[in-house]
Amino acid sequence: MSRVSDYAFVNAKLRARIGLMHDSTLFDEMIKAPSLTEAIAKLDGTWHGDLLDVYRKTGDLQQVELQMLEDEIGLYREVEGYLPSSPASFLSVLLEKIEVDNVKNAIRLWYSDVIRRHMISYRSAYIYKRTIVHAIDYDKVINAVSYPELLGAFKGTPYEDVLSSFSMESLASDGLFPLEIAIDHMWFRHLKEGIEKLSGADRKAAESIYYVDVDLKNILRLTRYSYSYHLDPSHLRKVIIPMGYIAEEAEKTGALSSDDPMSVLSGIVRRHYPQISEEIAHIRRTADDLTTVDENNREIVLIEAYLGERRKRAYSKMLLGDPFTIGVVLAYFFLCLQEDGTIRAILSGKYYERSEESIREVLGL
Amino acid sequence: MSMFTRRMRRLTAVVMESESDSVVKALLEKGVMEFVHIGALPADKMSKLSEHSAAVPKAALTDMRVRVETLMKEGGIALPELDGKAVEELSPLDMDGFRRTLDRLSLSLQSVRDDQRRINQEINSIEEIMRYAEESKDEYLDLRVGITTHGSSDDLLERLGKIGGVFIFSSKPFVSLTLRRDSARVTDAMDKFGWTESTDSDAQKSALSMAMSEAKAITEGYRADLDRLSAAAKEKILAMSGELSDIWKNVRIHELCEHVESFFSYTRNTTLFSGWVPEEESADVESIISHVTSGRCIIEWTEADEIPREEVPVEMTSPKILRPFERMVSNYSTPEYGSINPTPFTAVAYLCMFALMFADLGQGFILLLVGLIGKWLYGKNPTKKDGIISRYLCSLLIFLGPASMVGGLLFGSCFGFSLIPALWFNFDAVVEGEPVQGLIQDIYDILGITIKFGIVVIYLGLILNWINLVRKRRFVELVFDKNGIVGGILYGLGIWFAWGYVASGYKEFPSAPFFAPLLLVCLALILAKVPVEAAIERRKGKKEGIGHVLMSTVMDFLVEVLEIFSGLLSNTLSFMRVAGLGIAHASLMSAFYQIADMTGSTIPRILIMILGNVLVIVLEGLSAGIQSLRLNYYEFFTKYFTGHGMAFEPVGLRSRASAD
Repeated sequence: MSRVSDYAFVNAKLRARIGLMHDSTLFDEMIKAPSLTEAIAKLDGTWHGDLLDVYRKTGDLQQVELQMLEDEIGLYREVEGYLPSSPASFLSVLLEKIEVDNVKNAIRLWYSDVIRRHMISYRSAYIYKRTIVHAIDYDKVINAVSYPELLGAFKGTPYEDVLSSFSMESLASDGLFPLEIAIDHMWFRHLKEGIEKLSGADRKAAESIYYVDVDLKNILRLTRYSYSYHLDPSHLRKVIIPMGYIAEEAEKTGALSSDDPMSVLSGIVRRHYPQISEEIAHIRRTADDLTTVDENNREIVLIEAYLGERRKRAYSKMLLGDPFTIGVVLAYFFLCLQEDGTIRAILSGKYYERSEESIREVLGL
Repeated sequence: MSMFTRRMRRLTAVVMESESDSVVKALLEKGVMEFVHIGALPADKMSKLSEHSAAVPKAALTDMRVRVETLMKEGGIALPELDGKAVEELSPLDMDGFRRTLDRLSLSLQSVRDDQRRINQEINSIEEIMRYAEESKDEYLDLRVGITTHGSSDDLLERLGKIGGVFIFSSKPFVSLTLRRDSARVTDAMDKFGWTESTDSDAQKSALSMAMSEAKAITEGYRADLDRLSAAAKEKILAMSGELSDIWKNVRIHELCEHVESFFSYTRNTTLFSGWVPEEESADVESIISHVTSGRCIIEWTEADEIPREEVPVEMTSPKILRPFERMVSNYSTPEYGSINPTPFTAVAYLCMFALMFADLGQGFILLLVGLIGKWLYGKNPTKKDGIISRYLCSLLIFLGPASMVGGLLFGSCFGFSLIPALWFNFDAVVEGEPVQGLIQDIYDILGITIKFGIVVIYLGLILNWINLVRKRRFVELVFDKNGIVGGILYGLGIWFAWGYVASGYKEFPSAPFFAPLLLVCLALILAKVPVEAAIERRKGKKEGIGHVLMSTVMDFLVEVLEIFSGLLSNTLSFMRVAGLGIAHASLMSAFYQIADMTGSTIPRILIMILGNVLVIVLEGLSAGIQSLRLNYYEFFTKYFTGHGMAFEPVGLRSRASAD
């Protein structure tokens, strides 16, 4: 099968759907709506109309979010069905990211109940319990009273290995952060393997997106954790995602075992991303009146904005480029998830009665 | 109906500022004027005019209207019609009052939703227990049967209720079904009341089923509550439907007034405004303004001919019955002001094409039936959203069905069978290669018909273009352009030449004394186009270098000749798709007919023919519809439809809310 026959149908279908995506007017109207009820009512007649039906029946925003998650999973599965085996298995890796977040949510509930001794009551209903990629027994996760029981819920899945390097005691003392980072790293390893299995133009398209994406995430983590959490080099190693140019370079140069890992890492960032390094340096030069935390927060906002912009540019470029690669599929999911993220942020803002301005600020509008 | 776009006139009026509100309302009620900014006055006079300043910004009015519409939609309330009475009874705008009313409603809706949320959480909590019991995941459950030795059972129930679960405390021994993960909390609560496990084995055995029945009853009760609350939310809105409609009317009229007034300019005591009005409405508009201002007004009319054509808004005046085809035209573009209204021609061409591609009496009848039923259903339920068979498709099917039926009568086809005698020739028989008497004997003859049909359509397009060019006084284009007279003659020569060649059995080219001279004259005219245009421009004072003119002449000549020969040839051959689709339609039906015959028994035969007809109606109907549209857009419209017009959008009480 040629690339054209592999992607002709999915390309036409997804482009048509991209054309039908909501314009900013809908989001603007949702933000302007004075209450959650009025904001969600704006979804009437849109392709997110099912969310409104759920809200009308239950009045429960978390139930709406669960429906949204179900819709997202359905979307991945549908597109997966249109693709030949290699890109379809890559899509399954992307779907695994949704599973990772779901697993983290389930473990957080378990942690809250067993370690923190907080009642979780009805909250388990908002965990997606059907199989996403791997057969995980979510009921067992939520109801586990011991760590081996929790481990048993993930038997035969890649999560089992990750969880087995932790214990009830380590989680009780260090919190869930190290475990969540380890699960994230597992997914990034799968992503890297998935990209490597892609061929030719597909691989190039996926690399151009995810390698730089991971680099920027690493810069973000370095900025966030080195200041806010004052991590030492050994912890820093655990935090950095083992993928992308920065991680590879750090490995090659032995940056993390040097006396001043942050300055070596800064050098690597400067070489690969001079623009962002310059902007961070500018903030540091001009932020005399800011505390370290303020300065750090500004840097994080800056990097996040840069990351968002870069992603948008990269996906737009993909939509304009070769139509017969996985690029259009990745761009479609980016746009869909961005749209879902926007709706989620607005509804959540309305639920917590945040002002229009603060919602716009969160959305970067 | 006019053959051409509606004639327009531009009104410029000066009224006393004190009367401008009444004028706006009267004009809104009439709804025939598209307002434009006054920009034609000399700069020194313009500087003396001030712009409209809004008491309430239009954006705020729009936001308020959208808010009311959202709430009305949530309550299933249709938007009210605006009429003269609504304008007469218009009360002052009270944005704060409206906001308070809507906030009140919103708050009460939110409180219903909050109640729903709480109930939904209770349902989620109990359903988790029920699911574990149903799936025999007893290890996650904690079932206890016992009695308390001290304290009040109500107090214990209250404490357990906070943990969540199913509790039967109406008779002893008490039953408690909770989640195992809450065991410690349950034990803690029970210990305070001296809970003692029952030794009654029967009670222990029946406890789970009792608890499940109780859980089922509780969740059913909760679900009923959810439904009740869901209905209550709608009722709350419906209870305020009158108030909401009044707010909507008030805000909408003010929004429209604000929109109109945004085009106004002011002196100290007067208001100036301008706008386009259809010629036949101009007398009415003038008398309305005079009447409202008791004659204290100055009105001037500017004819559309005095203004550049592209600045004049365009309205097509097709009969209501041709609306589906008018939409087809508008989807393509808006015709230029003063040009021919393409709608009736599109209707005829589209229906002929469809009839030739989808000729079947029975299937056409089904299309008509679907169209009529759809129209009736949508008419019965005006708020119903468009489905796959949309309102527009229904109204189109009402035309396509009869067109297909006429085709069926001409070709003697009914549900794929030759049940009726063909009025023209038996299409199915020709496609199947059966011996047929008459002019049409094989598939090539069918292809020939569609090519002739294409030639008629293309010539019609060219003639319409010539009429448009005469009306626009573009005589150079009329003579020299590829879609002008020279193009038409060359196309005629090409047809004559091809016909002669085909008639000779593809053996020799035809010859005639007029051919070569006429061809050369036409080519010379095409070559002369750029120099003639340059000469005209020179007379207007625009000089172009001789080198540039020479270069343009050569390039333009080459492109034009190429476009005339290859373009018109491909346009003509493109009509063979009409025959192609017709043949495919007949072949598909014949295939289903043969498959049905293979079964040898009646019921499967009927079923296959029904399935075949359904498939052909859906797939072929869709293909024929799309191809007819394509032929209209690319082969017909490109000959005469420039699409440089700007649609006329008058502002009135019935203007679409989104239009402005």
